[in-house]
Amino acid sequence: MMTGCRAAAEGAKSAEVEVICSFPIRPYTAIMMELAKMVANGELNAEFIHGEGEHAQLSVVLGASAAGARAYTGSSGVGVTYAMEIYSPMAGGRYPAQMSIADRTLDPPGDFGSEHTDAMSTRDQGWLLGWACSPQEVYDNTLMSYRIGEDHRVMLPQMVCQDGYFISHIPDKVTLGETSQVKEFLPPYRPISPLSLTNPVSHGPQIRPDQGAPMDAMRAQTFLAIPKVIEEATADFARIFGRKYDPFVEQYRLADADIAFFIMGAHSNTARAAVDKLRKEGVKAGMARLRWVRPWPTHQLAEALGHVKAVGVVETSTSYGGAMRGGNLIHELRASLYDLDDRPLVTSFMGGLGGETIWPADFDYMAGVLSKMVKEKRTDRYVYWLGM
Amino acid sequence: MPAFDYNFQKLEPIKSFKAVPEAEQYLPGHRTCAGCGPALNYRLVAKAAGKDTIFIGPTGCMYVANASYLCTPYAVSWIHAQITNAGAVASGIEAAFKIAARKGRHTGPFPNIIVMAGDGGSVDIGLQAMSGMMYRNHKVLFICYDNESYANTGIQTSPTTPYGAATTFTPPGKEIPEGKTLFPKNVPQLVIGGHPAVKYVATTTIAHPLDLMNKVRKALSKPGPTFLHILCPCPKGWLFDEKLTPDMAKLAVETGMWSNYEWEDGVYKYTNVPKKYLPVGDYMKPQGRFAHLKPEHIAKMQAFVDEKIKQVQRPIPVAAAVPVKKLA
Repeated sequence: MMTGCRAAAEGAKSAEVEVICSFPIRPYTAIMMELAKMVANGELNAEFIHGEGEHAQLSVVLGASAAGARAYTGSSGVGVTYAMEIYSPMAGGRYPAQMSIADRTLDPPGDFGSEHTDAMSTRDQGWLLGWACSPQEVYDNTLMSYRIGEDHRVMLPQMVCQDGYFISHIPDKVTLGETSQVKEFLPPYRPISPLSLTNPVSHGPQIRPDQGAPMDAMRAQTFLAIPKVIEEATADFARIFGRKYDPFVEQYRLADADIAFFIMGAHSNTARAAVDKLRKEGVKAGMARLRWVRPWPTHQLAEALGHVKAVGVVETSTSYGGAMRGGNLIHELRASLYDLDDRPLVTSFMGGLGGETIWPADFDYMAGVLSKMVKEKRTDRYVYWLGM
Repeated sequence: MPAFDYNFQKLEPIKSFKAVPEAEQYLPGHRTCAGCGPALNYRLVAKAAGKDTIFIGPTGCMYVANASYLCTPYAVSWIHAQITNAGAVASGIEAAFKIAARKGRHTGPFPNIIVMAGDGGSVDIGLQAMSGMMYRNHKVLFICYDNESYANTGIQTSPTTPYGAATTFTPPGKEIPEGKTLFPKNVPQLVIGGHPAVKYVATTTIAHPLDLMNKVRKALSKPGPTFLHILCPCPKGWLFDEKLTPDMAKLAVETGMWSNYEWEDGVYKYTNVPKKYLPVGDYMKPQGRFAHLKPEHIAKMQAFVDEKIKQVQRPIPVAAAVPVKKLA
């Protein structure tokens, strides 16, 4: 049994990370406390650097990655946003370091609870961005993300996200990989043009405006290639470790569902139980759980949800003033479904904000709204605030 | 951490101009202004450091004017950093080479890791990252090439812009006749006073090339963080004739606007101390940035300098509290 934070640290240790940069902020900070012990005890041969803030944390791992080391950092909440300047240089510089996030609400007011807005705010910066729903998946995503990010077809930094407290601090059963399994799955980091004395290189010179668009297009092109790399890595992971994940979207009792919850992270565990209960009551409910926000699995979502009559997006992040006036996921989900001839009805539920629990009764309420939409064949509202 | 021999470089002092290495590590082909002090400084620093060097270049003149259109003038490895984070990026690079050496992946000399930051990237927006790096005992030389303004963006005031200077953010006007009203930060004292791990701090100018190169070599031969504050006059920002760049630096020393010194093992050593200081007006007169000043403003500057040069005779005891030798 271990928490999500411990699982992340164990993942980093299995990956034999070489440069770690810490700064304290709850709740992710427990990851660094575990790693600090491992380094102090000699279990992990790594440079452990106390950054003077999250901006420094990202900058340190950028430098380390540029110089050829496998680098690791992490944060939560306003720490994630304090580092904002460095996300784009890391992705644009193709430095495949990893950042582990235990989600926390942004200020104000101060609140320790989980909310996805922190990491979601970075979604346009060019990183790989994925969410786990259990400590086991945190460990597994740590290894898979390094494997995918360091693949020469990708070379991008990765954010491994878990909900603060719900995952980061509640222990669950975790099976750690054997050294031989990790070695087979995750080859050493092979930088392409690292800073070097024998082969001098320049990283990050300025460009002319007309050189900007081709470079942006190259980065966009890379994201077209990533789904295949994710599929390969997920399949290889299942072969070597015996744990099988849907590469992009976990589909739970979805095949014949009339209504579905679209969700990511910790609350999907409640959603599964809610689906089981609804099925017993004769409601054909299902769940689609998103594993990657970047790259966004457009076609996979259209395939998984195309046949459903009404989808309820469970939003655990905010997008004030956005097209649907609620959260973020609904925008991209509706865009993903738009080209279908027969689209599901889609609405969203703002839930779990500020770290609030989404209760089984909330899922019953959501199922009621979705069933009414199916019956009336229309969407009255695009956003419902749970419990209000 | 168990003791490990990282094979740090020991660079011998350069005895005379004849002994200066011919090899250039900062090559022609950049697009700095005519008479650029920071570019001359870059050439001297790179020459002194030699080929086993990695530069970290935060945003500033020495980024934008050197690394243009996907081309750079460096014969050694170089990486751009944000104007905010050079100290932290350098820390990560140093850590990566340390772990690579411990794992046997990097063999040969440990690189000379040098941050080349402007005044803003050193002691304004870059102060936090610089301080973090100095505090954490990374083996990095942090250089502040000081041209006394945010020059790359069109000459805006920085914390090292002198009192009375006109910049595009401190234009002299009816209400504010001096332009800049504040006195500058004391850069080397910021570093010396607050960072017990720092091994060596020195100041110099581009008008003292041998002194500059030897301070670079001495700094690079220390086992931990070191800092150089180098005066690099800027014809465009200070508004003087571009052929006078070295003369401006010389005048700065001769008037007491600037002092060359080094701080090593807690001891100050001053060089190029004039027998008699020239009046500060001799330094200010050729510079257009001071052209609007009235005699009372120049008198205020003279009083500031008079106070400053008292320290040359009687070095500040800040370092006495820091037992550097015992920490090393």
